[in-house]
Amino acid sequence: MGRISKEVMGGAGKSLWEVLVCPLSKNPLRYCDETKTLISDAIAVSFPIKNGIPCLVPQDGKILQEEQDANDANSSAMNQGRSS
Amino acid sequence: MALRTVTRKLGNKFFPLLSSTSHLHSHATSFGFKEVKEEEKAEMVGNVFSNVASNYDLMNDLMSAGLHRLWKDRLVSKLNPFPGMKHLDVAGGTGDVAFRILESINRVKQRGIKRDFEDILEAETKIYVCDINPNMLNVGKQRALQKGFMEDGSLVWVEGNAESLSFQNDTMDGYTIAFGIRNVTHIEKVLSEAHRVLKRGGRFLCLELSHVGIPIFKELYDLYSFSVIPSMGEMVAGDRESYQYLVESIRRFPTQEKFASMIADAGFQKVEYENLVGGVVAIHSGVKI
Repeated sequence: MGRISKEVMGGAGKSLWEVLVCPLSKNPLRYCDETKTLISDAIAVSFPIKNGIPCLVPQDGKILQEEQDANDANSSAMNQGRSS
Repeated sequence: MALRTVTRKLGNKFFPLLSSTSHLHSHATSFGFKEVKEEEKAEMVGNVFSNVASNYDLMNDLMSAGLHRLWKDRLVSKLNPFPGMKHLDVAGGTGDVAFRILESINRVKQRGIKRDFEDILEAETKIYVCDINPNMLNVGKQRALQKGFMEDGSLVWVEGNAESLSFQNDTMDGYTIAFGIRNVTHIEKVLSEAHRVLKRGGRFLCLELSHVGIPIFKELYDLYSFSVIPSMGEMVAGDRESYQYLVESIRRFPTQEKFASMIADAGFQKVEYENLVGGVVAIHSGVKI
């Protein structure tokens, strides 16, 4: 029954993510099962869920690009090492 | 003073995108009677509410002699909640307004007022409680569990900023903000966001401490505000400064007429207000058409 799954989600339920949008871009949010965060794909920012409460204050967001940048920096460092 | 030494969050510095509300124009705003930088107000207010969260309801009872309960009842009766409604209560972390709305909806059901497709609608009643302060939300969620309000999934808790809401356009039948708008940095942004999330025909209602105009009563009210309340805050909550901020911020808030014109400027129609206890509080309302 729908009710049981709602209770498991702490009263939130999956439909919640469909009503919520990114507070900055106002585009849809995607729930990421792996990180248990809400992702705003439009601006590549993730928002945490703490204690069953989505934290959608703009300052709560983390830019996803950072990880990507870190990887890029590593690979370019390796390339430089090769060429010298 | 502790509240003055608050520093900006690191996040603001590194990710200007994430603090879009504060860096666009960094002029001074008010924190009670103090002038502070715009980007600092939210955090200073945050500290006030983190400090008072656990004693919040007790202090409200003491300061208003229990009247805040009647004021909130009045707010909800103006809203006319109905089964199946989608409602957003902003800055209501402890659940005071949200619980009243749910109780009101349950009474409507018990009276057996039948509406078309009632079964379908009932399943979809959603009251979203949005507050910027996680401590207030946690207090509210605990209270909801104790009161048995969490069982049907109609209460949803979201941490968010009233100036940049995380709800879709045209989704809410009602919007309430009780004793919250006085604490925000940009009132205009809050009003424009309220207008954005409301459906056409949706109702905006704001309960806020306001301005007393009646001569002798005004003097008594000032005396009570500036002499009694900060001392009460110190004795009961062990926090004089937060309550000093409270009484100062009330005096800085726009008058009833000015605030009504701001609501109209945000695009609302049928803007009106009702003074309670001679203007100690006022309920402003508007409709999105």
